[in-house]
Amino acid sequence: MEILVLNGIVNGLIVGGIYALIGMSLTLLYGVLRIVNFAHGEFVIGGSFLAYALFSNLGLAPLFSLPVAALSFFAMGWGAYYLLLPRLQKSDDPEIMSFLMMYGVSIALAAVMLLIFEADSRSIDYSFTPISMKVGPIYVSTARIVAFGIVIVLAAALTWFLFRTLPGKALRATIMNPEAIKIVGVDVVKLSAFAFALASAIAGVTGVLVALVFPAFNPFSGAEYSIIGFIVVVLGGLGNPLGALLAGILYGLAEQLATVFLPQAMAPIVGFGILVAVILIRPTGLMGWRAQR
Amino acid sequence: MSAAIEVHGLRKRFGGLTALDGVELEAHPAEVLGIIGVNGAGKTTLMNCICGIYRADEGRVMIGGRDVTHRTPHEIAHHGVGRTFQIPRVFRKMSLIDNLLVPVLDRDEADPALIERAENTLEHMNLIELRHNFAEELSGGQQKLLEMARMLMPDPTVVMLDEPFAGVHPTLCKFMIERIEAMAAGGKTVLLISHDLTSIYRLSHRVAALNEGRVIAMGSVDEIRSNPAVVEAYLGN
Amino acid sequence: MPPESSGAGRSIERASADRIYYTLAAVIGGTVGIYFLVVPVLDLNIAFHFYLMLWITMASAFNVAAGFSGYMPFGFVAFYGVGAFTTAILVKSLGFPVLLALPFSGVAGVILGLLFAPTLRLSGIYFAIVSLALAGICRLVISNMPDHITGGSFGLQLGSRAEPVHSFYVMMAVMLLALGTILWLSRSRLGKALRAVRDDAEAADMMGVNVTRVRLYGWLIAAFFPAVCGGVEAWYTNVVDTETAFNTLTTAKTVIYAVAGGLGTVTGPIVGSVVMVWLDELIWRQFPLLNLLILGVATVMLVLFLPRGIVGTILRRRPEWRRYIP
Repeated sequence: MEILVLNGIVNGLIVGGIYALIGMSLTLLYGVLRIVNFAHGEFVIGGSFLAYALFSNLGLAPLFSLPVAALSFFAMGWGAYYLLLPRLQKSDDPEIMSFLMMYGVSIALAAVMLLIFEADSRSIDYSFTPISMKVGPIYVSTARIVAFGIVIVLAAALTWFLFRTLPGKALRATIMNPEAIKIVGVDVVKLSAFAFALASAIAGVTGVLVALVFPAFNPFSGAEYSIIGFIVVVLGGLGNPLGALLAGILYGLAEQLATVFLPQAMAPIVGFGILVAVILIRPTGLMGWRAQR
Repeated sequence: MSAAIEVHGLRKRFGGLTALDGVELEAHPAEVLGIIGVNGAGKTTLMNCICGIYRADEGRVMIGGRDVTHRTPHEIAHHGVGRTFQIPRVFRKMSLIDNLLVPVLDRDEADPALIERAENTLEHMNLIELRHNFAEELSGGQQKLLEMARMLMPDPTVVMLDEPFAGVHPTLCKFMIERIEAMAAGGKTVLLISHDLTSIYRLSHRVAALNEGRVIAMGSVDEIRSNPAVVEAYLGN
Repeated sequence: MPPESSGAGRSIERASADRIYYTLAAVIGGTVGIYFLVVPVLDLNIAFHFYLMLWITMASAFNVAAGFSGYMPFGFVAFYGVGAFTTAILVKSLGFPVLLALPFSGVAGVILGLLFAPTLRLSGIYFAIVSLALAGICRLVISNMPDHITGGSFGLQLGSRAEPVHSFYVMMAVMLLALGTILWLSRSRLGKALRAVRDDAEAADMMGVNVTRVRLYGWLIAAFFPAVCGGVEAWYTNVVDTETAFNTLTTAKTVIYAVAGGLGTVTGPIVGSVVMVWLDELIWRQFPLLNLLILGVATVMLVLFLPRGIVGTILRRRPEWRRYIP
């Protein structure tokens, strides 16, 4: 039992790190643009398929797919911003209409992946040597440890960027007070495009890590990651990147420990239940932080 | 004559900030009671407590001798309290007529009778030509008139006007003043909130001066004008 | 003196506007009714028209939540799925006749609506996300129930003889009931109260509207019809399983069809469903593989270029028609 619990904790941290990255990019997007990206899960799975395609066609190891994913998703996000968003801001209720639009994007992206890769579950047949390592009394796959290392580096880099650099501070300022930032003379359109691109890039990179950590993925797994992203974002407080980091890890731990104590099928119910409970009882998130509107 | 509205020891805190600190007020039928005070004196908070949007921490509100403290806003509305807002809050995607029907939806009267009354009220407010438009298509000043018309529909005994003249064209201002005078002449109790002293002094029978959540002076226009505490609150520091 | 400016003139004008409104409603209702009535008689495509009526009903019920009340239930499929399973279980396990089981589907929808009622104090995006999560919970709860009740992953065979024409006419009755309800609602005091609450709930409260009650009534109307639709569809296809009964695409299509027509009017969801289902059918026949992609792209285009929908856009151009078009 103790081994199981320990296993749950270690895997919870690793999986939670992935969830944290999904949540951080999603919450950044919401904070800056007031867009709830329903298609975020498809962005993530898109990254997984990119790694899959690069590995099976060019033999490129997943680690080398990371920069490719980052750059291509950044460019894609930048383009998508200018294609989709300016028109949306003119609508009566941009927030809910963006939700609906990204719903459409999510359906379309899943369909594209379905057309290219078909409905079967895929996994990248790549393994590190040694295949697994001993952490204390338990064995953890090397791929998971590597992925966790990358998660830590990325989360730290993102935090540093948001709190220590000028563009990062501008992003945070936009989250806190979108009106004031216009007055100060920041080019909000460019900043928003950058936020969209950055969030897409993080999602793409997270997708590569998903391919390393989780056994398989298919064109329809995106929806699950979107939902997990929503849970994490709401737990952490909408628009709060550090909250999302913490909430992601907590949720990963909760989910993995739930599989130790509860039947497998109950885990998603626990997740949905947490989401509903948090919104109904404490809509500002666990840290009591809410983006100003 | 008994008071149409009485407020006793009303207290309201937001976290560490005391917005209302034991407010005492009363106003009679056919009376215009002006409530003045600088920004943050608690004028709008007082109004929100009276109509039930905020829950008072202490104190009582009586309408026509009935205790309505801690009642829900719609119950208080049914006790005969109507109001307008500093920034108009009309039902944007409803026609003017439908806007006016909202406060009388649970009356027993038949629809045609209510619609007729809504049209007469709109005529009274000079909005009859626009009756089929959506409220969002009106100008800011017209939305203020629409709010007044909507407030009058259920024939309330106490009406509260929050900054009715703010940002309103002078001609329209004059029209509104006439309408407010007509409300009082018809027997309604009018609570008129403004930080603009000229219109308040012109309309009010009595004036209450609010400062830091307390009524610091209450009396006739002349008494308030010469009250040193009021002058101090407005010009002090 | 122009007749407009006198009270008597206004009441004549009002009566004639009402006449146009109800004539239009009768013409539209009559056309729809007669058209669907003759589909089986003339041996037209029953399946296509069955689903067209289903989507009209779903989109119209969604309109009560989204257009009249201002909620976007992205987990709308929950009502549909629970309705489908209610009818299936009652027929299969308890031997109910289908026609007796269907009202229970509606009741199940209303009960589910009552269970979800606490979420009505949320708004905007929070409501949408919670609704989505609740639909997920419903699906998981039902798919984790014992196989002998829900049929497990193979689904539940109703076991009664499939009677497409009967279920077709029952679907038609449900659709007409839904359209009648919404026509009534759009003119009723409840409808006005709902719209006021949608536009500014706090102000409506201070104007004497019992916000909680009004919202609940609107919500229960919106919950009832999709549940009955689920039941009728279960009867029509004779099989229910969790994957199809709780398919998120059902919500997607409902939302898209309703928005395409225009929220807030009676005719909007009808027009939207007719246009989109017809387009869907054309596309499906031509490019079955691209169907999903085109649905997604259509949603994006709709939000970007026609956010008010077909009827909504027409009424924006011609505001004076608002009084005449149901």
